[in-house]
Amino acid sequence: MSVRQNLAGSPLRLVAGDGSVSNQFSDQLIAVLPRLRRFARGLTGAAAEADDLVQAACERALARKHQFEEGTRFDSWMFRIVQTIWIDQIRARDVRKEDAEVPEERLGSDEPVRRVEARLALEEVRRAVGLLPPDQRTALLLVTVDGLSYKQAAEIAGVPVGTIMSRLARARIALQAQLAAGSGVRRSRKDAKAQ
Amino acid sequence: MQKRSDDRLVAYLDGELEMAERREVEAWLEADPAARETLAGLAESANLLRAAFDEAMHEPVPDRLIAAARGDTAGAQNLAQILPFTPHWRDAGRAGAWRRWASLPIAASLVGLLLGGGAGYWGLGKLWAGGETKQPAIETTAANNVWLDNAAGYFKLYVSAGDNALVDVPASGDTTQALQKISQSLPHEVRLPDLKPWGLDFRGARLVVVEGRPAAQLVYTTDNKAIGPLTLTIGSSKQSDIAPTFDHRQDVNLLYWRHQGRAYALVGQTDIGYLWGIANDVAWQLDAI
Repeated sequence: MSVRQNLAGSPLRLVAGDGSVSNQFSDQLIAVLPRLRRFARGLTGAAAEADDLVQAACERALARKHQFEEGTRFDSWMFRIVQTIWIDQIRARDVRKEDAEVPEERLGSDEPVRRVEARLALEEVRRAVGLLPPDQRTALLLVTVDGLSYKQAAEIAGVPVGTIMSRLARARIALQAQLAAGSGVRRSRKDAKAQ
Repeated sequence: MQKRSDDRLVAYLDGELEMAERREVEAWLEADPAARETLAGLAESANLLRAAFDEAMHEPVPDRLIAAARGDTAGAQNLAQILPFTPHWRDAGRAGAWRRWASLPIAASLVGLLLGGGAGYWGLGKLWAGGETKQPAIETTAANNVWLDNAAGYFKLYVSAGDNALVDVPASGDTTQALQKISQSLPHEVRLPDLKPWGLDFRGARLVVVEGRPAAQLVYTTDNKAIGPLTLTIGSSKQSDIAPTFDHRQDVNLLYWRHQGRAYALVGQTDIGYLWGIANDVAWQLDAI
């Protein structure tokens, strides 16, 4: 477990009737913001939309901070809020995230070929994640990207550990298949250009 | 069966299997080259996946999110009005300084530092004083409110946690190696100032997020309640250097300065005089002057 996860995973101790409670709560919230942004970016696939989601989560957390159970993990609580809002949003909009195409103009930039390929590979990964069903995407981001345990991910998603395990396996296999297909497409694109 | 195998392979990779299950999977891997290949592919894609979303961990958190976390929907962009700490002794000369320090209940070790390390102490005081010949009584510094709020907040978080306080790098063990781990998340190496002459023991270090950027919080404790506990927060800053500046917020005292891309905040509930002396020592040891 990384140092960063250790920090934000600290159980929050609330001090009733103390004016510092609010500051302590906000400090803990600020500490976990980078991880929430990463999680939200993986869920939404867009930086601005992700920040809107995190902002909404902060506002909801502050409004409901009395619901936070002392001694439990603050980061898990926040991840759950982010996930809940996101699910509500996609249900309300009833939209599917569109497949984000790699902008073609970048292919012709002056960047060194290796760097372009590396960046394209990462964009391909993000796009592949965006194609996963929401429940698999959530499991993948919580466990593989953020390094949470299956138990923590299960608590956040509100499902049994076994469900997380199977969602995760499906996501990982699907991701590999997507990436393999993507690299094939990229190779044929390069071959076509070379001809 | 294959699907179940995938579950187990992924769980094996994630370290989620019990010992007996691990052994079963390892036996299976040993006998099945295809499974080994799948496992290698899974490990590779996991690394790619982390790299693909790593960007968000290294970029500054937008101010609007910091403000939202503080419950300030209006944005809270205003800069701090900070009263710079100008010690009386600086104006009154060294004789005044001696009288000030002589009046403090200084422990024997502290007196030892002042006598033994006196040259460094006075030399630094002079350097800082010499760098800013004229200071307005009140100046609006470029210091960010959020930075100072965070540094003060993390100090209070540590104090309120009491014996349950968590540190990422405990004082015991290989501190150097552990600090290097923290340094990997920062744009600069973290060095540990020795504050034992002040009776302050290094308790541990944490990686914290100050103003949306990673920073190191070094924690020092002492039995002398007049001095400790103290924290030293070291982060990065793109703003210009400033001399040590005193600030009081959230019921704690801070001595804050910036030097060559790094921002420092010494935080505690101790007297300003102690903070000033310790900050001198820290700056001397870390070449942060």
